[in-house]
Amino acid sequence: MPKPPVAGDAPLAPSRRSLRGLDWFVFCVADIQTGFGPFIAVYLTTQKWTQIDIGLILSVAGLVALVGQIPGGAIVDAARSERVVASLAIVVISISALTYAAFPTFSAVLVAAILHAAASCVLGPAIAALSLGLVGHRAIGERLGRNARFSSIGNGLAAAAMGACGHFFSARAVFVITALLLAPAQLALRNIASGEIDADRAHGGRVEPGVEPKHFHVPVVLQKRPLLIFAGCIMLFHLANAAMLPLMASALTTRSSASATVLIAACIVVPQLVVAGISPWVGRQTGLWGRRPLLIIGFAALPLRALIFAAVSDPRLVVLAQCLDGVTAAALGVLVPLILVDLTRGTGRFNMAQGLIGTMTGIGAAASTSLGGYLTDYFGSPVAFLGLGAVATTALASALIFMPETRPNPD
Amino acid sequence: MHHQRTILVVSVCAISLALIASIATTKFLAAAELPQTNQPHPANAPAATPQPAQQPGTAPAASPPPAAATVLDNREASGILGRAVLSTANENMGRIIDVVVDQNGRVRAAIIDFGGFLGVGSRKIAVDWNALHFSPDKEHNRIILELTRDQVKAAPEYQEGKPIIVLGALAVSPDLQLTTSAMPEK
Repeated sequence: MPKPPVAGDAPLAPSRRSLRGLDWFVFCVADIQTGFGPFIAVYLTTQKWTQIDIGLILSVAGLVALVGQIPGGAIVDAARSERVVASLAIVVISISALTYAAFPTFSAVLVAAILHAAASCVLGPAIAALSLGLVGHRAIGERLGRNARFSSIGNGLAAAAMGACGHFFSARAVFVITALLLAPAQLALRNIASGEIDADRAHGGRVEPGVEPKHFHVPVVLQKRPLLIFAGCIMLFHLANAAMLPLMASALTTRSSASATVLIAACIVVPQLVVAGISPWVGRQTGLWGRRPLLIIGFAALPLRALIFAAVSDPRLVVLAQCLDGVTAAALGVLVPLILVDLTRGTGRFNMAQGLIGTMTGIGAAASTSLGGYLTDYFGSPVAFLGLGAVATTALASALIFMPETRPNPD
Repeated sequence: MHHQRTILVVSVCAISLALIASIATTKFLAAAELPQTNQPHPANAPAATPQPAQQPGTAPAASPPPAAATVLDNREASGILGRAVLSTANENMGRIIDVVVDQNGRVRAAIIDFGGFLGVGSRKIAVDWNALHFSPDKEHNRIILELTRDQVKAAPEYQEGKPIIVLGALAVSPDLQLTTSAMPEK
Protein backbone atom coordinates (compact mmCIF):
# COMPACT_ATOMS: atom_id res chain seq x y z
CA MET A 1 0.00 0.00 0.00
CA PRO A 2 1.65 3.31 -1.02
CA LYS A 3 2.46 5.66 1.81
CA PRO A 4 0.20 8.72 1.70
CA PRO A 5 2.12 12.01 1.48
CA VAL A 6 2.70 13.53 4.88
CA ALA A 7 2.32 17.28 5.20
CA GLY A 8 5.60 19.05 5.69
CA ASP A 9 8.08 16.84 3.87
CA ALA A 10 9.04 19.47 1.36
CA PRO A 11 11.96 21.68 2.41
CA LEU A 12 10.76 25.00 3.79
CA ALA A 13 12.37 28.41 3.72
CA PRO A 14 11.37 30.44 6.78
CA SER A 15 12.74 33.95 6.91
CA ARG A 16 15.90 34.79 8.83
CA ARG A 17 13.87 37.17 10.95
CA SER A 18 11.53 34.42 12.09
CA LEU A 19 14.41 32.11 12.89
CA ARG A 20 16.19 34.81 14.85
CA GLY A 21 12.95 35.54 16.66
CA LEU A 22 12.63 31.90 17.65
CA ASP A 23 16.26 31.84 18.84
CA TRP A 24 15.77 34.75 21.16
CA PHE A 25 12.36 33.59 22.30
CA VAL A 26 13.84 30.30 23.45
CA PHE A 27 16.61 32.26 25.16
CA CYS A 28 14.16 34.51 27.00
CA VAL A 29 11.96 31.63 28.09
CA ALA A 30 14.99 29.84 29.53
CA ASP A 31 15.87 33.04 31.43
CA ILE A 32 12.35 33.34 32.77
CA GLN A 33 12.12 29.74 33.91
CA THR A 34 15.46 29.83 35.76
CA GLY A 35 13.98 31.93 38.53
CA PHE A 36 11.34 29.33 39.31
CA GLY A 37 13.37 26.43 40.48
CA PRO A 38 14.56 25.48 43.96
CA PHE A 39 15.11 29.20 44.36
CA ILE A 40 11.47 29.61 45.33
CA ALA A 41 12.15 27.88 48.63
CA VAL A 42 15.01 30.29 49.29
CA TYR A 43 12.84 33.30 48.52
CA LEU A 44 9.92 32.15 50.66
CA THR A 45 12.32 31.54 53.56
CA THR A 46 13.39 35.16 53.38
CA GLN A 47 9.69 36.06 53.56
CA LYS A 48 9.50 34.20 56.88
CA TRP A 49 7.48 31.25 55.66
CA THR A 50 7.48 28.04 57.66
CA GLN A 51 8.95 24.94 56.07
CA ILE A 52 5.58 23.21 56.07
CA ASP A 53 3.99 25.97 54.02
CA ILE A 54 6.91 26.04 51.61
CA GLY A 55 6.70 22.29 51.17
CA LEU A 56 2.98 22.58 50.51
CA ILE A 57 3.47 25.15 47.77
CA LEU A 58 6.20 23.08 46.12
CA SER A 59 4.04 19.95 46.27
CA VAL A 60 1.02 21.65 44.76
CA ALA A 61 3.13 23.20 42.02
CA GLY A 62 4.74 19.84 41.29
CA LEU A 63 1.38 18.13 41.14
CA VAL A 64 -0.12 20.68 38.76
CA ALA A 65 3.01 20.53 36.60
CA LEU A 66 2.64 16.77 36.42
CA VAL A 67 -1.09 16.48 35.87
CA GLY A 68 -1.19 19.37 33.42
CA GLN A 69 1.33 17.96 30.97
CA ILE A 70 -1.03 15.98 28.77
CA PRO A 71 -3.87 18.54 28.83
CA GLY A 72 -1.30 21.25 28.07
CA GLY A 73 -0.10 19.31 25.07
CA ALA A 74 -3.68 18.73 23.94
CA ILE A 75 -4.37 22.46 24.16
CA VAL A 76 -1.38 23.24 21.95
CA ASP A 77 -2.51 20.57 19.49
CA ALA A 78 -5.95 22.12 19.30
CA ALA A 79 -4.68 25.68 18.91
CA ARG A 80 -4.68 27.29 15.50
CA SER A 81 -1.96 29.80 16.36
CA GLU A 82 1.03 28.60 18.31
CA ARG A 83 2.25 32.17 18.69
CA VAL A 84 -0.82 33.26 20.60
CA VAL A 85 -0.60 30.26 22.90
CA ALA A 86 3.06 30.92 23.63
CA SER A 87 2.40 34.60 24.16
CA LEU A 88 -0.43 33.98 26.63
CA ALA A 89 1.68 31.44 28.50
CA ILE A 90 4.49 33.96 28.93
CA VAL A 91 2.06 36.60 30.16
CA VAL A 92 0.68 34.22 32.77
CA ILE A 93 4.19 33.35 33.95
CA SER A 94 5.03 37.03 34.28
CA ILE A 95 1.91 37.62 36.34
CA SER A 96 2.99 34.72 38.50
CA ALA A 97 6.46 36.20 39.00
CA LEU A 98 4.99 39.58 39.88
CA THR A 99 2.70 37.97 42.41
CA TYR A 100 5.63 36.21 44.05
CA ALA A 101 7.47 39.49 44.31
CA ALA A 102 4.60 41.70 45.40
CA PHE A 103 2.30 39.51 47.51
CA PRO A 104 4.19 36.73 49.26
CA THR A 105 1.13 35.61 51.23
CA PHE A 106 0.08 31.98 51.21
CA SER A 107 -3.04 32.23 49.08
CA ALA A 108 -1.46 34.55 46.51
CA VAL A 109 1.64 32.40 46.18
CA LEU A 110 -0.53 29.29 45.87
CA VAL A 111 -2.38 30.83 42.94
CA ALA A 112 0.89 32.04 41.44
CA ALA A 113 2.50 28.61 41.73
CA ILE A 114 -0.48 26.91 40.10
CA LEU A 115 -0.57 29.48 37.30
CA HIS A 116 3.12 29.08 36.64
CA ALA A 117 2.95 25.29 36.56
CA ALA A 118 -0.04 25.32 34.21
CA ALA A 119 1.54 27.87 31.87
CA SER A 120 4.79 25.90 31.76
CA CYS A 121 2.86 22.79 30.71
CA VAL A 122 1.66 24.73 27.69
CA LEU A 123 4.82 26.70 26.95
CA GLY A 124 7.15 23.72 26.62
CA PRO A 125 5.22 21.94 23.85
CA ALA A 126 4.40 25.29 22.23
CA ILE A 127 8.06 26.06 21.62
CA ALA A 128 8.67 22.68 19.97
CA ALA A 129 5.48 23.12 17.96
CA LEU A 130 6.60 26.57 16.80
CA SER A 131 9.91 25.08 15.73
CA LEU A 132 8.26 22.24 13.85
CA GLY A 133 5.74 24.56 12.24
CA LEU A 134 8.48 26.90 11.14
CA VAL A 135 11.12 24.57 9.72
CA GLY A 136 9.26 21.34 8.99
CA HIS A 137 10.33 17.73 9.39
CA ARG A 138 13.45 17.93 7.27
CA ALA A 139 15.29 20.54 9.27
CA ILE A 140 13.75 19.94 12.69
CA GLY A 141 16.77 18.03 14.03
CA GLU A 142 19.16 20.88 13.53
CA ARG A 143 16.59 23.39 14.71
CA LEU A 144 16.08 21.51 17.98
CA GLY A 145 19.85 21.51 18.44
CA ARG A 146 19.86 25.26 18.01
CA ASN A 147 16.97 25.62 20.46
CA ALA A 148 18.92 23.62 23.02
CA ARG A 149 21.92 25.89 22.54
CA PHE A 150 19.98 29.09 23.11
CA SER A 151 18.07 27.54 25.98
CA SER A 152 21.22 26.52 27.81
CA ILE A 153 22.90 29.89 27.22
CA GLY A 154 19.80 31.53 28.65
CA ASN A 155 19.80 29.18 31.63
CA GLY A 156 23.47 29.66 32.40
CA LEU A 157 23.44 33.44 32.09
CA ALA A 158 20.26 33.72 34.09
CA ALA A 159 21.59 31.48 36.85
CA ALA A 160 24.71 33.61 37.13
CA ALA A 161 22.77 36.88 36.98
CA MET A 162 20.12 35.81 39.45
CA GLY A 163 22.71 34.42 41.82
CA ALA A 164 24.48 37.78 41.77
CA CYS A 165 21.17 39.61 42.07
CA GLY A 166 20.07 37.55 45.03
CA HIS A 167 23.43 38.13 46.68
CA PHE A 168 23.76 41.87 46.14
CA PHE A 169 20.14 42.93 46.23
CA SER A 170 17.44 40.64 47.50
CA ALA A 171 15.71 37.44 46.59
CA ARG A 172 12.63 39.47 45.69
CA ALA A 173 14.55 41.34 42.98
CA VAL A 174 15.01 38.06 41.12
CA PHE A 175 11.24 37.75 40.61
CA VAL A 176 10.90 41.35 39.51
CA ILE A 177 13.54 40.77 36.86
CA THR A 178 11.81 37.56 35.81
CA ALA A 179 8.58 39.49 35.34
CA LEU A 180 10.35 42.21 33.35
CA LEU A 181 11.71 39.59 30.96
CA LEU A 182 8.19 39.45 29.52
CA ALA A 183 9.02 42.40 27.26
CA PRO A 184 11.99 40.94 25.37
CA ALA A 185 10.19 37.60 25.12
CA GLN A 186 7.13 39.17 23.50
CA LEU A 187 9.35 41.21 21.19
CA ALA A 188 11.16 38.08 20.06
CA LEU A 189 7.86 36.31 19.53
CA ARG A 190 6.57 39.17 17.37
CA ASN A 191 9.45 38.65 14.98
CA ILE A 192 8.22 35.20 14.11
CA ALA A 193 5.94 35.67 11.15
CA SER A 194 2.73 33.82 11.84
CA GLY A 195 2.20 33.25 8.14
CA GLU A 196 5.25 31.01 8.04
CA ILE A 197 3.91 28.61 10.66
CA ASP A 198 1.51 26.00 9.38
CA ALA A 199 -0.67 24.91 12.26
CA ASP A 200 -1.13 21.38 10.95
CA ARG A 201 2.60 20.96 10.49
CA ALA A 202 3.16 22.25 13.99
CA HIS A 203 1.04 19.46 15.38
CA GLY A 204 2.86 16.75 13.52
CA GLY A 205 0.93 16.63 10.30
CA ARG A 206 -2.69 16.38 9.40
CA VAL A 207 -4.60 13.33 10.53
CA GLU A 208 -5.72 11.23 7.58
CA PRO A 209 -9.49 10.75 7.57
CA GLY A 210 -10.45 7.37 8.96
CA VAL A 211 -7.32 6.91 11.08
CA GLU A 212 -8.76 8.28 14.27
CA PRO A 213 -11.25 5.86 15.88
CA LYS A 214 -14.83 6.95 16.35
CA HIS A 215 -14.95 6.78 20.12
CA PHE A 216 -12.24 8.97 21.51
CA HIS A 217 -10.75 7.16 24.48
CA VAL A 218 -7.01 7.25 24.19
CA PRO A 219 -5.82 8.73 20.93
CA VAL A 220 -4.36 6.18 18.58
CA VAL A 221 -0.92 7.64 18.82
CA LEU A 222 -0.68 7.04 22.56
CA GLN A 223 -1.09 3.33 21.93
CA LYS A 224 1.85 3.15 19.60
CA ARG A 225 4.38 0.74 21.04
CA PRO A 226 7.57 2.67 20.29
CA LEU A 227 6.12 5.70 22.01
CA LEU A 228 5.30 3.74 25.14
CA ILE A 229 8.76 2.17 25.13
CA PHE A 230 10.31 5.59 24.81
CA ALA A 231 8.15 6.91 27.63
CA GLY A 232 9.32 4.07 29.87
CA CYS A 233 12.99 4.68 29.05
CA ILE A 234 12.62 8.37 29.75
CA MET A 235 10.96 7.69 33.09
CA LEU A 236 13.76 5.36 34.15
CA PHE A 237 16.31 7.89 33.01
CA HIS A 238 14.86 10.70 35.06
CA LEU A 239 14.41 8.37 38.01
CA ALA A 240 18.20 8.15 38.03
CA ASN A 241 19.08 11.63 36.86
CA ALA A 242 16.98 14.12 38.79
CA ALA A 243 18.40 13.50 42.24
CA MET A 244 22.05 13.43 41.25
CA LEU A 245 22.85 17.10 41.15
CA PRO A 246 21.04 18.02 44.40
CA LEU A 247 22.65 15.10 46.21
CA MET A 248 26.09 16.04 44.95
CA ALA A 249 25.52 19.69 45.76
CA SER A 250 24.54 18.75 49.29
CA ALA A 251 27.67 16.61 49.54
CA LEU A 252 29.78 19.52 48.28
CA THR A 253 28.32 21.75 50.97
CA THR A 254 29.35 19.14 53.50
CA ARG A 255 32.89 18.75 52.23
CA SER A 256 34.04 22.24 51.27
CA SER A 257 32.82 25.27 53.11
CA ALA A 258 33.88 28.59 51.66
CA SER A 259 34.05 27.55 48.03
CA ALA A 260 30.96 25.34 48.13
CA THR A 261 28.71 28.02 46.66
CA VAL A 262 31.08 28.66 43.77
CA LEU A 263 31.51 24.93 43.18
CA ILE A 264 27.77 24.34 43.05
CA ALA A 265 27.42 27.27 40.67
CA ALA A 266 30.12 25.69 38.51
CA CYS A 267 28.27 22.37 38.63
CA ILE A 268 25.19 24.12 37.29
CA VAL A 269 26.96 26.17 34.63
CA VAL A 270 29.38 23.58 33.19
CA PRO A 271 26.65 21.33 31.73
CA GLN A 272 25.00 24.38 30.25
CA LEU A 273 28.26 25.28 28.52
CA VAL A 274 28.57 21.77 27.13
CA VAL A 275 24.99 21.83 25.87
CA ALA A 276 25.51 25.22 24.27
CA GLY A 277 28.61 23.90 22.55
CA ILE A 278 27.51 20.57 21.14
CA SER A 279 23.73 20.72 20.69
CA PRO A 280 23.66 22.00 17.09
CA TRP A 281 26.23 19.34 16.18
CA VAL A 282 24.04 16.69 17.84
CA GLY A 283 21.08 18.01 15.88
CA ARG A 284 22.94 17.64 12.60
CA GLN A 285 24.24 14.17 13.46
CA THR A 286 20.73 12.88 14.03
CA GLY A 287 20.25 13.16 10.31
CA LEU A 288 23.52 11.37 9.50
CA TRP A 289 23.87 8.73 12.21
CA GLY A 290 20.21 8.37 13.06
CA ARG A 291 18.60 8.87 16.44
CA ARG A 292 19.50 5.66 18.23
CA PRO A 293 23.29 6.00 18.50
CA LEU A 294 23.04 9.45 20.00
CA LEU A 295 20.31 8.33 22.40
CA ILE A 296 22.50 5.47 23.58
CA ILE A 297 25.45 7.81 24.10
CA GLY A 298 23.27 10.17 26.09
CA PHE A 299 21.92 7.35 28.26
CA ALA A 300 25.37 5.80 28.74
CA ALA A 301 26.86 8.99 30.17
CA LEU A 302 24.59 8.77 33.19
CA PRO A 303 25.81 5.56 34.88
CA LEU A 304 29.35 6.75 34.25
CA ARG A 305 28.60 10.01 36.03
CA ALA A 306 26.98 8.15 38.91
CA LEU A 307 30.09 6.03 39.27
CA ILE A 308 32.33 9.09 39.37
CA PHE A 309 30.13 10.76 41.96
CA ALA A 310 30.21 7.66 44.12
CA ALA A 311 33.96 7.25 43.89
CA VAL A 312 35.63 10.66 44.01
CA SER A 313 35.53 13.39 46.59
CA ASP A 314 37.78 15.99 44.94
CA PRO A 315 35.44 18.83 44.01
CA ARG A 316 37.28 19.60 40.80
CA LEU A 317 36.67 16.09 39.50
CA VAL A 318 33.02 16.53 40.39
CA VAL A 319 32.79 19.63 38.23
CA LEU A 320 34.51 17.73 35.41
CA ALA A 321 32.00 14.91 35.78
CA GLN A 322 29.29 17.49 35.24
CA CYS A 323 30.50 17.62 31.63
CA LEU A 324 28.88 14.20 31.32
CA ASP A 325 25.68 15.81 32.57
CA GLY A 326 26.08 18.24 29.70
CA VAL A 327 26.46 15.40 27.18
CA THR A 328 23.28 13.79 28.46
CA ALA A 329 21.39 17.05 28.51
CA ALA A 330 22.44 17.89 24.96
CA ALA A 331 21.54 14.44 23.66
CA LEU A 332 18.17 14.31 25.35
CA GLY A 333 17.37 17.96 24.75
CA VAL A 334 17.56 17.35 21.03
CA LEU A 335 16.42 13.75 20.82
CA VAL A 336 13.32 13.79 23.01
CA PRO A 337 11.36 16.24 20.84
CA LEU A 338 12.95 14.80 17.69
CA ILE A 339 11.93 11.21 18.39
CA LEU A 340 8.46 12.47 19.23
CA VAL A 341 8.34 14.28 15.88
CA ASP A 342 9.28 11.01 14.22
CA LEU A 343 6.75 8.95 16.13
CA THR A 344 3.82 11.34 15.66
CA ARG A 345 4.13 12.08 11.96
CA GLY A 346 0.73 12.32 10.37
CA THR A 347 -1.17 12.04 13.62
CA GLY A 348 -1.60 15.68 14.61
CA ARG A 349 -0.78 14.73 18.20
CA PHE A 350 2.83 15.86 18.49
CA ASN A 351 2.16 18.08 21.47
CA MET A 352 0.06 15.58 23.36
CA ALA A 353 2.91 13.10 22.96
CA GLN A 354 5.21 15.76 24.41
CA GLY A 355 2.77 15.98 27.29
CA LEU A 356 3.02 12.23 27.81
CA ILE A 357 6.80 12.34 27.92
CA GLY A 358 6.59 15.35 30.21
CA THR A 359 4.39 13.40 32.58
CA MET A 360 6.87 10.52 32.60
CA THR A 361 9.69 12.97 33.23
CA GLY A 362 7.81 14.47 36.15
CA ILE A 363 7.00 11.11 37.70
CA GLY A 364 10.58 9.92 37.32
CA ALA A 365 11.99 13.14 38.77
CA ALA A 366 9.67 13.14 41.78
CA ALA A 367 10.38 9.50 42.55
CA SER A 368 14.10 10.17 42.06
CA THR A 369 14.19 12.77 44.80
CA SER A 370 12.48 10.40 47.22
CA LEU A 371 14.69 7.49 46.20
CA GLY A 372 17.87 9.53 46.48
CA GLY A 373 16.83 10.91 49.86
CA TYR A 374 15.94 7.47 51.16
CA LEU A 375 19.20 5.91 50.00
CA THR A 376 21.27 8.75 51.45
CA ASP A 377 19.52 8.63 54.81
CA TYR A 378 19.95 4.92 55.32
CA PHE A 379 23.10 4.04 53.41
CA GLY A 380 25.04 7.24 52.85
CA SER A 381 25.97 9.26 49.84
CA PRO A 382 28.20 6.87 47.85
CA VAL A 383 25.67 4.05 48.03
CA ALA A 384 22.96 6.47 46.94
CA PHE A 385 24.95 7.35 43.83
CA LEU A 386 25.58 3.68 43.10
CA GLY A 387 21.90 2.97 43.48
CA LEU A 388 21.00 5.76 41.09
CA GLY A 389 23.69 4.45 38.76
CA ALA A 390 22.02 1.04 38.80
CA VAL A 391 18.73 2.63 37.76
CA ALA A 392 20.59 4.51 35.03
CA THR A 393 22.08 1.25 33.77
CA THR A 394 18.59 -0.21 33.61
CA ALA A 395 17.50 2.77 31.54
CA LEU A 396 20.45 2.27 29.22
CA ALA A 397 19.70 -1.44 28.84
CA SER A 398 16.03 -0.73 28.09
CA ALA A 399 16.98 1.77 25.42
CA LEU A 400 19.55 -0.60 23.92
CA ILE A 401 17.22 -3.57 23.81
CA PHE A 402 13.80 -2.13 23.11
CA MET A 403 14.13 1.28 21.51
CA PRO A 404 13.91 1.23 17.71
CA GLU A 405 15.47 3.66 15.29
CA THR A 406 12.83 6.26 14.53
CA ARG A 407 14.49 8.20 11.74
CA PRO A 408 12.20 8.12 8.74
CA ASN A 409 13.67 6.34 5.73
CA PRO A 410 14.83 8.92 3.21
CA ASP A 411 12.29 8.63 0.39
CA MET B 1 -2.48 42.91 13.35
CA HIS B 2 -5.75 41.60 14.73
CA HIS B 3 -3.89 38.92 16.64
CA GLN B 4 -1.54 41.42 18.23
CA ARG B 5 -4.40 43.60 19.40
CA THR B 6 -6.14 40.61 20.88
CA ILE B 7 -2.97 39.59 22.68
CA LEU B 8 -2.57 43.08 24.12
CA VAL B 9 -6.15 43.36 25.33
CA VAL B 10 -6.16 39.91 26.88
CA SER B 11 -2.81 40.55 28.56
CA VAL B 12 -3.98 43.79 30.13
CA CYS B 13 -7.21 42.24 31.35
CA ALA B 14 -5.41 39.23 32.76
CA ILE B 15 -2.84 41.33 34.61
CA SER B 16 -5.49 43.63 36.05
CA LEU B 17 -7.65 40.73 37.20
CA ALA B 18 -4.73 38.98 38.80
CA LEU B 19 -3.60 42.10 40.65
CA ILE B 20 -7.09 42.88 41.86
CA ALA B 21 -7.62 39.31 43.00
CA SER B 22 -4.32 39.26 44.87
CA ILE B 23 -4.95 42.58 46.58
CA ALA B 24 -8.45 41.52 47.57
CA THR B 25 -7.22 38.24 48.98
CA THR B 26 -4.47 39.92 50.97
CA LYS B 27 -6.86 42.48 52.43
CA PHE B 28 -9.36 39.78 53.31
CA LEU B 29 -6.74 37.73 55.09
CA ALA B 30 -5.37 40.72 56.98
CA ALA B 31 -8.84 41.69 58.16
CA ALA B 32 -9.61 38.16 59.29
CA GLU B 33 -6.54 37.91 61.53
CA LEU B 34 -6.92 39.13 65.08
CA PRO B 35 -4.60 41.96 66.07
CA GLN B 36 -1.42 40.53 67.56
CA THR B 37 -0.70 41.21 71.20
CA ASN B 38 2.35 40.04 73.08
CA GLN B 39 1.84 38.31 76.37
CA PRO B 40 4.36 39.16 79.08
CA HIS B 41 4.04 35.62 80.49
CA PRO B 42 6.21 32.76 79.27
CA ALA B 43 4.59 30.19 77.08
CA ASN B 44 3.97 27.56 79.72
CA ALA B 45 2.29 29.81 82.27
CA PRO B 46 -1.47 30.12 81.88
CA ALA B 47 -2.12 32.95 79.49
CA ALA B 48 -5.47 34.55 78.77
CA THR B 49 -8.36 32.51 80.11
CA PRO B 50 -10.64 31.37 77.28
CA GLN B 51 -13.71 33.54 76.71
CA PRO B 52 -16.90 31.54 77.39
CA ALA B 53 -19.39 31.52 74.55
CA GLN B 54 -22.19 34.00 75.17
CA GLN B 55 -25.58 32.24 75.43
CA PRO B 56 -28.29 34.29 73.79
CA GLY B 57 -31.09 35.26 76.19
CA THR B 58 -29.34 34.29 79.43
CA ALA B 59 -27.97 36.89 81.76
CA PRO B 60 -24.26 37.27 80.94
CA ALA B 61 -22.04 35.58 83.55
CA ALA B 62 -19.26 37.65 85.05
CA SER B 63 -16.80 37.70 82.12
CA PRO B 64 -13.13 37.09 82.96
CA PRO B 65 -10.86 40.14 82.88
CA PRO B 66 -9.24 40.88 79.52
CA ALA B 67 -5.72 39.49 79.04
CA ALA B 68 -2.84 41.76 79.84
CA ALA B 69 -1.23 43.13 76.74
CA THR B 70 2.21 44.54 76.17
CA VAL B 71 3.23 46.51 73.16
CA LEU B 72 6.70 45.80 71.87
CA ASP B 73 8.42 48.18 69.54
CA ASN B 74 9.09 46.30 66.33
CA ARG B 75 12.59 47.66 66.35
CA GLU B 76 13.16 46.04 69.74
CA ALA B 77 11.59 42.70 68.93
CA SER B 78 10.73 40.84 65.76
CA GLY B 79 10.00 37.37 64.48
CA ILE B 80 12.91 35.06 63.97
CA LEU B 81 11.96 33.00 60.94
CA GLY B 82 13.93 33.88 57.85
CA ARG B 83 16.47 36.01 59.64
CA ALA B 84 20.04 35.77 58.40
CA VAL B 85 22.76 34.34 60.59
CA LEU B 86 26.43 35.29 60.43
CA SER B 87 29.46 33.64 61.91
CA THR B 88 31.94 35.44 64.14
CA ALA B 89 34.08 35.84 61.02
CA ASN B 90 31.19 37.52 59.19
CA GLU B 91 30.58 34.52 56.95
CA ASN B 92 27.09 33.91 55.63
CA MET B 93 25.64 31.07 57.66
CA GLY B 94 22.20 30.90 56.12
CA ARG B 95 18.82 31.69 57.59
CA ILE B 96 16.85 30.50 60.59
CA ILE B 97 13.94 28.38 59.41
CA ASP B 98 12.71 26.79 62.63
CA VAL B 99 13.16 26.78 66.40
CA VAL B 100 13.38 23.62 68.54
CA VAL B 101 11.66 23.83 71.93
CA ASP B 102 11.65 21.03 74.52
CA GLN B 103 8.65 19.90 76.51
CA ASN B 104 9.36 22.33 79.34
CA GLY B 105 9.24 25.26 77.00
CA ARG B 106 12.97 25.87 76.92
CA VAL B 107 14.35 26.83 73.56
CA ARG B 108 17.06 24.29 72.76
CA ALA B 109 18.16 24.89 69.19
CA ALA B 110 17.58 26.81 66.00
CA ILE B 111 17.48 25.16 62.59
CA ILE B 112 19.41 27.05 59.96
CA ASP B 113 19.26 26.53 56.21
CA PHE B 114 22.90 26.50 55.30
CA GLY B 115 24.86 26.60 52.06
CA GLY B 116 23.84 25.99 48.48
CA PHE B 117 23.43 28.10 45.37
CA LEU B 118 20.04 29.30 44.15
CA GLY B 119 18.48 26.76 46.46
CA VAL B 120 20.45 23.78 45.16
CA GLY B 121 22.50 21.93 47.74
CA SER B 122 21.42 23.66 50.94
CA ARG B 123 21.24 21.67 54.18
CA LYS B 124 19.27 22.09 57.38
CA ILE B 125 21.51 22.10 60.47
CA ALA B 126 20.46 22.35 64.11
CA VAL B 127 22.62 24.69 66.21
CA ASP B 128 22.49 25.15 69.95
CA TRP B 129 20.43 28.15 71.04
CA ASN B 130 23.23 29.18 73.37
CA ALA B 131 25.60 29.35 70.44
CA LEU B 132 23.51 32.14 68.94
CA HIS B 133 24.19 35.69 70.06
CA PHE B 134 21.72 38.43 69.44
CA SER B 135 23.33 41.84 69.48
CA PRO B 136 21.52 45.10 69.02
CA ASP B 137 24.62 47.14 68.38
CA LYS B 138 24.86 47.01 64.57
CA GLU B 139 22.33 48.74 62.38
CA HIS B 140 20.38 45.55 61.55
CA ASN B 141 20.00 43.32 64.59
CA ARG B 142 22.53 40.71 63.68
CA ILE B 143 22.35 37.14 64.82
CA ILE B 144 25.85 35.84 65.35
CA LEU B 145 26.62 32.15 65.50
CA GLU B 146 29.64 31.10 67.49
CA LEU B 147 30.62 28.52 64.88
CA THR B 148 32.46 28.92 61.59
CA ARG B 149 31.39 27.50 58.25
CA ASP B 150 34.01 24.79 58.52
CA GLN B 151 32.57 23.61 61.81
CA VAL B 152 29.00 23.58 60.52
CA LYS B 153 29.51 22.21 57.03
CA ALA B 154 29.92 18.54 57.94
CA ALA B 155 27.09 18.37 60.47
CA PRO B 156 24.41 15.75 59.93
CA GLU B 157 21.27 17.16 58.47
CA TYR B 158 18.25 17.88 60.62
CA GLN B 159 15.34 15.55 59.86
CA GLU B 160 11.87 15.54 61.34
CA GLY B 161 11.13 12.45 63.37
CA LYS B 162 14.77 11.57 63.94
CA PRO B 163 16.95 12.46 66.92
CA ILE B 164 18.18 16.01 66.54
CA ILE B 165 21.94 16.45 66.46
CA VAL B 166 22.58 19.91 67.82
CA LEU B 167 25.85 21.59 66.98
CA GLY B 168 27.75 23.69 69.43
CA ALA B 169 26.09 22.23 72.52
CA LEU B 170 28.09 23.42 75.50
CA ALA B 171 28.56 21.59 78.81
CA VAL B 172 25.29 20.58 80.39
CA SER B 173 24.08 23.27 82.76
CA PRO B 174 23.52 22.29 86.45
CA ASP B 175 19.75 22.29 86.47
CA LEU B 176 19.64 19.84 83.60
CA GLN B 177 22.04 17.34 85.09
CA LEU B 178 20.42 14.01 85.75
CA THR B 179 20.36 13.28 89.44
CA THR B 180 22.03 9.95 90.10
CA SER B 181 19.84 7.44 91.79
CA ALA B 182 20.76 6.54 95.36
CA MET B 183 23.29 3.75 95.50
CA PRO B 184 21.65 0.48 96.48
CA GLU B 185 22.57 -0.50 99.97
CA LYS B 186 25.02 -3.26 100.16
